[in-house]
Amino acid sequence: MEVIEHLATGFVAAASLQNLLFCLIGVFLGTLIGVLPGIGPIPTLALLLPVTFGLDPLTGLIMLAGIYYGAQYGGSTTSILVNMPGEASSVVTCIEGHQMAKRGRAGAALATAACGSFFAGCVGTIFIAAFGPPLAAIAQQFTSPDYFSLMVLGLVMAVVLAHGSVLKAITMVLVGLLLGLVGTDLATGHTRYTFGIGGLWEGIDFLPLVLGLFGIVEIIRNLENPPPARDTISTRLRDLWPTKEEFRLAWPAALRGTGIGSILGILPGGGAVLASFASYTVEKKLTKRPHVFGNGAIEGVAGPESANNAAAQTSFIPLLTLGIPSNPVMAIMMGAMIIQGIQPGSAVMTARPELFWGMIASMWIGNLMLVILNLPLLGIWVRLLSVPYRFLYPAILLFCAVGVYSTSTEPFMMVLLIVFTVFGYILFKFGCEPAPLVLGFILGPLMEQNLRRSMQLSRGDPMIFFDRPISLTLLILAALVILLVISPQLRRKREEAFQEE
Amino acid sequence: MLKVRSPQDLGAGVLFVLIGLAGVYFGQDLAFGSARRMGPGYFPVIISYMIICMGLIVTVRAFRVDGPAMEKFRLRPILMLVLALAAFGFLIAQLGVIISSFLMVGIAAYARYEKVNIVETIVFATAVSAFMVLVFVYGLNQPMPLWWKS
Repeated sequence: MEVIEHLATGFVAAASLQNLLFCLIGVFLGTLIGVLPGIGPIPTLALLLPVTFGLDPLTGLIMLAGIYYGAQYGGSTTSILVNMPGEASSVVTCIEGHQMAKRGRAGAALATAACGSFFAGCVGTIFIAAFGPPLAAIAQQFTSPDYFSLMVLGLVMAVVLAHGSVLKAITMVLVGLLLGLVGTDLATGHTRYTFGIGGLWEGIDFLPLVLGLFGIVEIIRNLENPPPARDTISTRLRDLWPTKEEFRLAWPAALRGTGIGSILGILPGGGAVLASFASYTVEKKLTKRPHVFGNGAIEGVAGPESANNAAAQTSFIPLLTLGIPSNPVMAIMMGAMIIQGIQPGSAVMTARPELFWGMIASMWIGNLMLVILNLPLLGIWVRLLSVPYRFLYPAILLFCAVGVYSTSTEPFMMVLLIVFTVFGYILFKFGCEPAPLVLGFILGPLMEQNLRRSMQLSRGDPMIFFDRPISLTLLILAALVILLVISPQLRRKREEAFQEE
Repeated sequence: MLKVRSPQDLGAGVLFVLIGLAGVYFGQDLAFGSARRMGPGYFPVIISYMIICMGLIVTVRAFRVDGPAMEKFRLRPILMLVLALAAFGFLIAQLGVIISSFLMVGIAAYARYEKVNIVETIVFATAVSAFMVLVFVYGLNQPMPLWWKS
């Protein structure tokens, strides 16, 4: 079995003492920040990104992956205990989880979420190990037009699945693409949109952009409209284990959620958010006791929580094999990999197998640590929720500033941070989600490069995108998706789905 | 009679058009080239035109489809936070990370709409600054000046 051999390579690489330690720290810090209400995985990753820069690439990426899982689990904890979703993928957990907590079953809900996530994480890891190599083999047949069309499809899907106005989301992607082009054009050597500023020659720096748009704008939002006092559930967390009855209801849901999540995670534009919504809908349809849904049905916790973790894992597949991030979280991971000097794509697997398989093995280790760490530490996370915001926000702000400064002592970095804070603030006032922008920003240079190469190949004939079967299929898919969104019936469905938030 | 039905969309639309116009304007010095040999200006200028188009659509929709009202701009938080960031950025090279962190936390405290307890802020700012130094300078070995240049 080749898969097992590969995984063994990975475990050898990942299980060094140093890597394990940083994986643990990553999971811990991720949960710590993720638990804070209103801070989802994207700002958490952005905040903790600078911490990983000083490490060697594998360790840094392992830590970052740990942060991601931690952040997601932390978000679920907050959803269940205070009914405050940190981000869209835990919105559904809020619905049932918080109701369970109100009935005194908070411990059971949290344990179910943790165990479901762990199970889904194990399956997801095997999924990546099994599907990674074949997909990478396919990826090697991809030529520039195929890549270009794939990115078009990915961006279209990401826009459709983002919440809020589709029109504005498309434009945000375009703005992101434009921002991604700032700096030296590698093919011609010209500098673009740099206004003679040396700090822009290598492009807009990723870190101040993400920290400004997500980290600091989030603080400003909370200061302008202080969130209402939350009813924290002070339950005895000793009642951690689900009853037999609850277990019997939970495990099939977790199984289904894992399946749904694993598949939806691979899709371009898919990921944790989509998976948890889909799983919740399925559970609601399948249940034999619909009256319990909305009043704390444990299936509604087990399913979506498993689904979002499975999807969180498998959404690494497009990034690691095709080199294309399928959602904003993966865009941040890709940004981190580039900063570490790794260009994600099928080449990583062949050129640096220990890095590729090490990361996959670390995903499983990270999930294990999540369970080991979180169940005993629940009390601490709960207490963290009662830290007043007047202490939290200056610390977060300082963390952003020191983080940016630690990657570059250039004063211009701080200017960029301020610029993107103000820009993000204006976008927030105008109801524009910044997540699609980040995706566009990362993909901008890649798209241009592949468009340019395609057009060189075809000598300026755009038909090249329709002549190649892979490219044609991808473009047809993208067109279908757009048509579906425009059709009034589906539009209503989509609005309904997001209404539940 | 035109009536703004979605102030948020109007703002977004106008902002998008402005961004697109800036992209076209500042991109006009870049060689456009042809589809076969794309110059540095080809892709960005096309994207900019697309942004302008989308911006116009969003703007027009703002007059035709109802949308949420714009939240009031309450300027105190953003002004104070930007000031705190600027102070940190410009002072750290001269004063070192400890003092600039302290100042930053102090300024940031005034970003909220509540009374600020000065003693508490000073104690807190000291503690947080010390913690950051421990994490970044000693924990992560990031090279940063601790104190002012002598």
